[in-house]
Amino acid sequence: MKPSPAMLALVTDAYRGRGGIAQYNRDFFEALAEAGLLSITVLPRQAPDSSGMPEPVEQLQARPGRIAYSVAALRTALFRIVDVVFCGHLFMAPLAALIARLKGAKLIIQAHGIEAWPRPSRIQRMATERADLVLCVSRYTRAAVLSWAAIAPDRVLVVPNTVREVFTPADGSAQRVALGVEGKRVLLTVGRMDSRERYKGHDRVIAAIPDLVAKGHDICYMVVGEGDDRARLEALVRNAGVSDRVRFLGDVGLQSLIEIYRAADLFVMPSTGEGFGVAFLEAMASGTPALGLATAGAKDALADGELGTSTSEAELSVAISRLLHQAKPDSFDLARAVRARFGREKFVAMADQVLNRLTERDSDNPNAVFGESLISHADRP
Amino acid sequence: MCGINGIVAYHTASSEPEEAELLATRDAMRARGPDGSGAWWSPDRHCALGHRRLSIIDLSDRASQPMTSEDGRFVVVFNGEIYNYPQLRTELETDGARFRTTSDTEVLLHLYARHGAEMVHRLRGMFAFAIWDQAQHCLFLARDPYGIKPLYTANDGWTFRFASQVKALLAGGHLSRDPEPAGVVGFHLFGSVPEPFTLYRDIRSLPAGHTQFVNAAGPREPKSFSNLAELLAKGAANAVPVAEISERVRAAVLDSIRAHSLADVEVGIFLSAGVDSGALLGCMRDAGQRGVRAITLAFEEFRGTSEDEAPLAARVSDHYGAHHIVRRLSQQEFVQDLPAILDAMDQPSIDGVNTWFVSKAAKEAGLKVVISGLGGDELLGGYPSFADVPRWRRRFGALAVVPGLGLFARTLIGRVAPAFSHARPKALGLLEHSGTWAGAYLLRRGLFLPNELPKVMDPEIAREGMRRLRPLRSLGASLKPDPGSDLARVCVLESVHYMRNQLLRDADWAGMAHSLEIRVPLVDFTLLGKLASSIPAITKGAGKAALAAAPMMPLPNEVVTRAKSGFAVPTGAWINSVVGNASSSIGHKPESKGIVSRRWSQAVLNGGPLTKRPLEVHAS
Repeated sequence: MKPSPAMLALVTDAYRGRGGIAQYNRDFFEALAEAGLLSITVLPRQAPDSSGMPEPVEQLQARPGRIAYSVAALRTALFRIVDVVFCGHLFMAPLAALIARLKGAKLIIQAHGIEAWPRPSRIQRMATERADLVLCVSRYTRAAVLSWAAIAPDRVLVVPNTVREVFTPADGSAQRVALGVEGKRVLLTVGRMDSRERYKGHDRVIAAIPDLVAKGHDICYMVVGEGDDRARLEALVRNAGVSDRVRFLGDVGLQSLIEIYRAADLFVMPSTGEGFGVAFLEAMASGTPALGLATAGAKDALADGELGTSTSEAELSVAISRLLHQAKPDSFDLARAVRARFGREKFVAMADQVLNRLTERDSDNPNAVFGESLISHADRP
Repeated sequence: MCGINGIVAYHTASSEPEEAELLATRDAMRARGPDGSGAWWSPDRHCALGHRRLSIIDLSDRASQPMTSEDGRFVVVFNGEIYNYPQLRTELETDGARFRTTSDTEVLLHLYARHGAEMVHRLRGMFAFAIWDQAQHCLFLARDPYGIKPLYTANDGWTFRFASQVKALLAGGHLSRDPEPAGVVGFHLFGSVPEPFTLYRDIRSLPAGHTQFVNAAGPREPKSFSNLAELLAKGAANAVPVAEISERVRAAVLDSIRAHSLADVEVGIFLSAGVDSGALLGCMRDAGQRGVRAITLAFEEFRGTSEDEAPLAARVSDHYGAHHIVRRLSQQEFVQDLPAILDAMDQPSIDGVNTWFVSKAAKEAGLKVVISGLGGDELLGGYPSFADVPRWRRRFGALAVVPGLGLFARTLIGRVAPAFSHARPKALGLLEHSGTWAGAYLLRRGLFLPNELPKVMDPEIAREGMRRLRPLRSLGASLKPDPGSDLARVCVLESVHYMRNQLLRDADWAGMAHSLEIRVPLVDFTLLGKLASSIPAITKGAGKAALAAAPMMPLPNEVVTRAKSGFAVPTGAWINSVVGNASSSIGHKPESKGIVSRRWSQAVLNGGPLTKRPLEVHAS
């Protein structure tokens, strides 16, 4: 019989947090709750408030300071039952490992993207090597972790991002009218514009626009997202003489985002630094084809070219042009294919497997334990 | 003896395996199985199995693999031999199993259906196999207790792959060649790559005597099902009197020879002028085999000298009525074959050259299966290490546990007598490593010592490799529980490390390159079980003497006497002539065998002087 353990989650942010990691944490906790976790106590570093949590999840007051956070984590661990410690970011791994040791609890460390690629500090590495499971969002991140951690490879699992069920295909023509882009070929990138990272690839799309226009495509490039690199990108657009073809939409609400995904002809994000790239999934779940580079975690989100298209940096313009020439795939078929690999149902099943794997290590017959958790691939389209 | 491979796209997000990859990996192992090939796909195409066949038991097409159970639930690919399959078959038939073939492969399907993972405890033989359970969507892998047959795996987080050879997995085209520092360091320490590591980070060996499950939740950590140290510890607790040893050795070896002679093709033997192979030939005769073809490798430049093994081997062959084939090897042929040897070498090894040529000779003679005396030295205390390691522990162990003393002595002698430290690098390690059995063994077998690594490779890789490999910890772990006697401890260390990672790997790649199955009756868990209680009482020379006396017609005395002084082989000098000018910082004259081995190891790692694609791990 599967136990229903209690989990303490040390995270940067989760509920009411912004960005991919916060979203992943929320999705993961809810999937664990569905899979049978009795209670999840979330201690965030940042959170504006703590509303909108499902039943077994309790989010404590955020503690932005490192010392205050550590004290709060230790105090929480002292007064609560903790069977599993979940560490949502590598920099918290030493604290998580300490608590897991003090409580005799299992330790899960989550690795997302660029934070886990370079060799971390010695203490973070040692904490990671003590983990019962390390969860990585992509094969690339997993390979990076294994390059610096001396840990059994079979304890490092890939649990990819999931796509929320609100992203569905529908007719995007009304949104095209609202945006004033009827008749145009709409390219879309959704992502943060961070001057320290600059890996999302906005620059590459902007650089490709003159060539695409010369090839006869009436391009409109829509950029959703905010960040301190926006001014530089706007200047880049002006210098390239394509100001009339690029629209910076800033942060938009969820409903607008869904409609913008549906309105685009092609989602393009030639990023070199994606841990996974959940925006690819959101676009394809909305019925819009996606294009990225065959680099890092994007390969997983694009399913090695079976869901989306992956290309090289040098071939980007050619690939965009080719995809714009092709007929748009059936949006419902595309959305179904995305959910068959990355849908919520699959994500919950993976959370269930993670819980099973934690208890299984003490078992004599893993196959018997896991007999009920097997997922058939037969329901793929 | 065959080549097996498979791909399981276990993750919910993974794509179907590509047929081209399955076949590329399978057919990179063509030499392992030239008699046929097969492939199987699960209905949802998320599991694919491949097989190349060397037909030895049940030569018919019915016994082809991948083999499916009658109800279609289980599918197996299998490399090796199950020597007790006739008994198992009888038991299974009594239990209601219906057989469609006379192969040992089908026994595996029935056993798994009845006993699951516990089936491995019933198997006697050398094996590496994978069974797909279509009902549970689960893959089960197993490898024999000694690790005679290889099995390599790779897990990228979405897809699990396995194959009999590292190079075959690479040929599939989906794995990186990023170096594994632990494998690189292990090769420099031991002269072969210690499992579970390989030279590549993406690829690992399923450890000997382990099973592994893979299902939708991914591959589980391999689980051990056998332990040499434990078997010997139990034996030590029930040690038998010295007087009984000879009779026990006789009975156990004859039983093993009988088991290992099971085949539907002719079984030959590699015959040197030593005790091990000679005694096995004698036991083959006792088991009723006549006119066994015996292959001896001899060297042109020793012809007519006292170093030539051929005349004495001929004497043994005559003694037992065998058909003797002497294959003479020249330096010219050695140099000519060197590119093919390095190409066939699945993982780098500083040995295996002799096995290559004697296998080549067996193939020329039309043999598919041969018996080898490999393992006799490990089992019966034949190596100098059986004397050296306990002696070093006694003489230097107490000093070596004084913290910092070894390092101080090494540094001091390195300063005041640099020539000595270059010529005898290991002598300096005595005070540093003799404090434990693991350390003393590392010193005995080590090609380079840990402190020398930064001089021969990128220091960062050396540091990281040592951290990941933890050689002393790994050596020490193999001695748990304590085998109970000095001889048993060294027996375990030699069997679990040197023999497993070097001799058995060499026998596999060198034999398989010539489509030859090499059987090793002295490397047999059942045999070890029978002799475990005798091993503590074996004194120097007594084990080999008992083996020499095992046949009803004991080996001629001159063989036993001559074998004690050993024979030279010229391959070391030939190797030196090939790589002699290639190196610089590794050592200086006078050059011992160890120094030449060091130089050869560098050439092997980089593909020799004939390299195309060196692994970039060395300091410039």
